[in-house]
Amino acid sequence: MKTMTKKPEILAPAGTLEKLKIAIRYGADAVYIGGNRFGLRSRAGNFSYDEMKEGVDFAKKHHAKVYVAANMVTHEGDEEGAGEFFRTLRDIGINAVIVSDPALIEICAIEAEGLPIHLSTQASATNYETLNFWQQEGLERVVLAREVSMEEIKEIRQNTDVEIEAFIHGAMCISYSGRCTLSNHMSNRDANRGGCSQSCRWKYDLFEIPRPGEQTSVLAGDPVEDFSMSAVDMSMIRHIPDLVENGVDSLKIEGRMKSIHYVSTVSNVYRKAIDTYCRDPENYIFKQEWENELWKVAQRELASGFYYGTPTENEQLFGKRRKIPAYAFVGQVLEYNAETQIATIQQRNNFGVGDVVEFYGPGFTHTYQTIEQLWDEEDVPIERAPKAMMIVKMKVNTPVKPFDIMRKRK
Amino acid sequence: MIEIIATAESVEQAKALVATDVDTLYIGEDAFGLRLPKSFSRNEITEIIKIAHEQNKQVSVAVNAIMHNDRIKTVVPYLQFLQEVGADSVTIGDPGVIHLLQTHGINLPFIYDAQTLVTSAKHINFWAKRGAVGAVLAREIMYEELKSIGTKVTVPVEVQVYGATCIHHSKRPLVENYYNYTKEHKPNTNALYISEPKKPETHYSIYEDINGTHVFNTNDINLFPHLDKLVEIGLTRWKLDGVFTRGKDYVEIARLFAKAKQMLLDDKWTQEQMEQLNEQLMQHHPKERTLDEGFFLKDPSEVQ
Repeated sequence: MKTMTKKPEILAPAGTLEKLKIAIRYGADAVYIGGNRFGLRSRAGNFSYDEMKEGVDFAKKHHAKVYVAANMVTHEGDEEGAGEFFRTLRDIGINAVIVSDPALIEICAIEAEGLPIHLSTQASATNYETLNFWQQEGLERVVLAREVSMEEIKEIRQNTDVEIEAFIHGAMCISYSGRCTLSNHMSNRDANRGGCSQSCRWKYDLFEIPRPGEQTSVLAGDPVEDFSMSAVDMSMIRHIPDLVENGVDSLKIEGRMKSIHYVSTVSNVYRKAIDTYCRDPENYIFKQEWENELWKVAQRELASGFYYGTPTENEQLFGKRRKIPAYAFVGQVLEYNAETQIATIQQRNNFGVGDVVEFYGPGFTHTYQTIEQLWDEEDVPIERAPKAMMIVKMKVNTPVKPFDIMRKRK
Repeated sequence: MIEIIATAESVEQAKALVATDVDTLYIGEDAFGLRLPKSFSRNEITEIIKIAHEQNKQVSVAVNAIMHNDRIKTVVPYLQFLQEVGADSVTIGDPGVIHLLQTHGINLPFIYDAQTLVTSAKHINFWAKRGAVGAVLAREIMYEELKSIGTKVTVPVEVQVYGATCIHHSKRPLVENYYNYTKEHKPNTNALYISEPKKPETHYSIYEDINGTHVFNTNDINLFPHLDKLVEIGLTRWKLDGVFTRGKDYVEIARLFAKAKQMLLDDKWTQEQMEQLNEQLMQHHPKERTLDEGFFLKDPSEVQ
């Protein structure tokens, strides 16, 4: 029986320390986080050095890695302090930094020797010679542009041995990453320094100017559809064999701003799919339930980006959108007593007796039940759990385990 | 030394531009260069280089596209061709092309041009250390930043002083996708515009070509009123982009910049002269398009 000895890494986003731990518990081999500076997510939860240290310690215990995104495109003066920043990261034990700006790459290489550098997708690397260039510069890995196709990845793999990372899930820029300043010009917010106002997703008029001062709208459709440049999200769950067989070293999930619910679900699904494939590639079958699971935390329609051809109108958001089933993260299991079948749960959103809930956990376990009995911390029966983070106990029909997550359809 | 670099849309226009005292022509073919007024054949490129060199002018060729594998495979013969016919320099934005230029020992000076990404002196100096003889600055840079860049760069940098400025480059055919969705025919024109929600006065040009879809800022750049400030801070490689300003009007605008250059060099530049010439410039600018100074006058703290 054939087995894949080289499994690609699953790389998950972690906006906070809690998300970092959850991502790793739910199957991520590595996580990427942001520091207080030099990142592209000024509004995402960013890590202090102390939090990074705790994250690194946790990751090491679980044989996982932590990368820091420092993928800002610097303007004059922005690079100040970068040397110390990178040195501190290295000394904390961060496994690599994700950088796109050559100014920062140079500072990191010179001032924080020994800290591996990954080229960010922000640099739009789309061919093997570019990868060879960066490898020669000492970079360990290149994150490919989202515009690269599967055929191109195959060819890139044959022509370079630098590590390749590719996006497999999440939201995507409709432009070549880094080559869009709509936000700078329309909102005075620098897209390449963490301020992107997502102007591409706005609704625009589209027109001709037949004579100066005159505008003739050429919007079309019935009803008339506004012009927009909004991409649907990416999901490669149906194409795991291609990603593994073509030698992608790291499979990246987008979303440092996303919730615990999202990060746990997506990491869990890809962990399951990749383990299933690598254990027995010849008998691998894609399971619809994996995609259904991803759909529970989706924000937009899902498609395969540029991997199998240039995206058409079907990979853009036009017209009425299909309703996405919305699920809420309502609780996390802290303890489970097998004798009494009582689970201790930390509340994360309102729930109560009569609600249908689903438990899922690391290893892709899933159980469903209607809540029948609920007690507060003092064992007083209650109907609902309304208070944020309150500790409750409930009777469960099937065993659960600590860190399992309880969700409920909204 | 002030250098005026101007795009050209035809062999005829190239001749006219050379006669106006433009120093360098900027041309190319769109399989390798981005957003050019015309994609020239190799014969035309050869001819334009010959015309320019006869008048002691230079030709720089755009090789600044984002290259996928198919292009990276054909770029070496293209670079060898450009070397043979005597191109004076090329612009490059993809590090893979720089890698090939060097591993193939092709003797062509290159100017680093990764468009929106070229925003600091340290970034430019990185490429200078790797052989770049110049760099093209992003359009989103303010005067205060330019000033700092001017003192720190180790190679000369180009500033766009006139013309349309690209603010979005997608590999997707965004206009075609829109019309496919609506099941109607795409208008038979490349002169389309979009306007922001609730800002009907805006008119961002949008078009598609083999490199994808390109959106341009609502106002074209005109730094004519600020040329003296550029001279003061030592940024004297000025690029004119004619992607939306065509024919003789563009040549006339180039002539005005060449005149400004001479007056600045001769120390004869006055506010009055500037205003008078700038007025002429506006007469030649396409009537459906508007001009402003781009990010030049913004305060760095305004854009975060």
